[in-house]
Amino acid sequence: MGYKEHFNVRPADLPAPPQAAMQILRACARKEVNNKQLAELAAQDPVLSTELLRIVNSAYFNMPSDIKSVNRAVSILGQRALRNLVLCISVRDSVRHNALPDFDIGGFWEDTLRHAVAARLLAEQTGLDADECFTAGLLQDFSLLVMCFIQPAKAKSWEDLRKLDPEQRYQREQQVFGITHDNLLQLLCQTWSLPEELSNVLGSHHNCNTEQLNDKGTSMCQVLYLGDWMTAVFTARATGECLRRYQFLADRLIGLKQEQADACLAAMPEQVERSAETLGLNISQQPEFEDILTQANKRLAEENMSYQELTWKLESALAEQDRLSAALDQELQIAREIQTGLLPAQQDPSFPVSGYNQSAHELSGDFYDYFKLPDGRIYFNLGDVSGKGITAALMMAKTSSLFRCLGKNETNPARLLATISSELAETMVRGMFVTLTCGLYDPANDQLKLVNAGHPPALLIADQGEVKQLGASGPPLGIMPDCQYEIETLALNDARLYLFSDGLIEGEYAPGKVLGVSGLAKLLHKLHDREADELINILFSQFMTQSDTLKDDITLVMLENRTPNA
Amino acid sequence: MEIKKRNEAGHSIISLIGEVDLHYSPRAREEILNTLKDKQNVLIDLSDVSYIDSSGIASLVEGYQLSKKAGQSFGLLNISNAAMQVLKLARLDSVFPIYSNIDEIQN
Repeated sequence: MGYKEHFNVRPADLPAPPQAAMQILRACARKEVNNKQLAELAAQDPVLSTELLRIVNSAYFNMPSDIKSVNRAVSILGQRALRNLVLCISVRDSVRHNALPDFDIGGFWEDTLRHAVAARLLAEQTGLDADECFTAGLLQDFSLLVMCFIQPAKAKSWEDLRKLDPEQRYQREQQVFGITHDNLLQLLCQTWSLPEELSNVLGSHHNCNTEQLNDKGTSMCQVLYLGDWMTAVFTARATGECLRRYQFLADRLIGLKQEQADACLAAMPEQVERSAETLGLNISQQPEFEDILTQANKRLAEENMSYQELTWKLESALAEQDRLSAALDQELQIAREIQTGLLPAQQDPSFPVSGYNQSAHELSGDFYDYFKLPDGRIYFNLGDVSGKGITAALMMAKTSSLFRCLGKNETNPARLLATISSELAETMVRGMFVTLTCGLYDPANDQLKLVNAGHPPALLIADQGEVKQLGASGPPLGIMPDCQYEIETLALNDARLYLFSDGLIEGEYAPGKVLGVSGLAKLLHKLHDREADELINILFSQFMTQSDTLKDDITLVMLENRTPNA
Repeated sequence: MEIKKRNEAGHSIISLIGEVDLHYSPRAREEILNTLKDKQNVLIDLSDVSYIDSSGIASLVEGYQLSKKAGQSFGLLNISNAAMQVLKLARLDSVFPIYSNIDEIQN
């Protein structure tokens, strides 16, 4: 994974090793370098060479006699060991002079050494290069420290992170820092010119099965991952859980029986202290493994008990949730049936009005209606309630009922809407409102009276393609009493009148495209020779294929003169 | 969406900034209602509204309705083109008192 994917970290933000160390790391990455050249590079930096010699002469390396020159040290240790040593010193020194306030650096080194020591102990069990694993372990958490430097305000969260188990910690890192330690490690390896093999191992130790790795790489990965769990036994809150997980993983990943796995853990405290001494790091005295184990077993018993309790509670909560959600589903189903029942029944083909509604959710805030008056005139409407769900459905039911009930005695559609608006305004809550267009059509003389209350314009589209938009003459219904609306009187002739909800002009008709009013007008004209049912099917299937779920309800009403002599 | 508040010329001015949609309008609503509760005259600055849907409009309508009941003044200030289109389409420009700048109110 390249650093470009991590927008919050730039290579320039990362700490760099001292120049001489960097040169040694680069030189070691080349095959043709010889010991003399390496020694010369080290000699450029007196601090580095003194430190190298001090470590080489420490009890850890157990040299028969004092080593007095870097040249000699390199020839005894070999280039790999030299590189590891230089890396250890660089990691240590990259932060020493930049202490973060509020950051427990001693605690951090303790954990870092635990990782390193754990990796070395496991390497010895699996036949991997122990020093190389030690170095890799030392780097394992280094990126976290770097993260704390880049985002110092979040440095404090390290204390919480170390109390989590490795998997929880991994997820939390992403949340806190926006990057996980393995990804940042890869970036760091690039900046520090570390071998690709090491970079791959460090970058994948939470995902050991990646194809990037060869067999040795996979083994190292597993060792580092196990090292995470070993460290967690000493630091995490859920000590018992981590111990159990480590024992399980040690067996499954590298075939370590519990006795051997425990022996590795038991060896950690002393080795951590020795490594700290060798590297010149100050850490507090390490607790004995027996104490940790006693505590872990005690916690395990407690955790087991509380896990059981938690499982029971969770099971009963889930059952209750299932029961409630089934009850709610049933209620919604009934509400949906009632709502569908409020829409008018299909009429015979000679009836001039057709309508269609497709709901985005169980319940719709859109509605339409049409009904015949005793004198043969036909009232029709299409409305849209602001808001969604049950509240919108209830308002839809009320508005639609008012229209049907009052419409039978009020044949002035402007007055009808004014009355409905006042009635709704009396009881409307939360600023809800209803946009609605209605019409009264007389098939006998082809006369149409249309009123629009805050709704998107109705479209009158003539056979030849001429489009007339009929916009609102007053505000939506329910906002305030005593609104005034105006009637538009017109003849249909060969034109079709379309009322529609905003789902048709704002919803996705083609990927990323919305129609808008003029787009819808064009489309409707293209389909003007289709029968109403066919047109509606074509239009709606297009919206439905854009996504499995509609975002908004879509509703359409069409009016045309269908008298035989028209 | 972002909300900013300021006091000017005896009015509490609430600026709604960005998209006032189903997701954010509850926040706008809360702010409007709380300010009205404090018995203040309220203006909603819509100069930086890039999108407003019916739930956003409902928050404005509710504020307007409550202010009328309580005898407080409530209006819209500096309406952006995007918001004005929506208001005009629904003829809501005839409902709300609308001001293009704060001086208009004082006159």
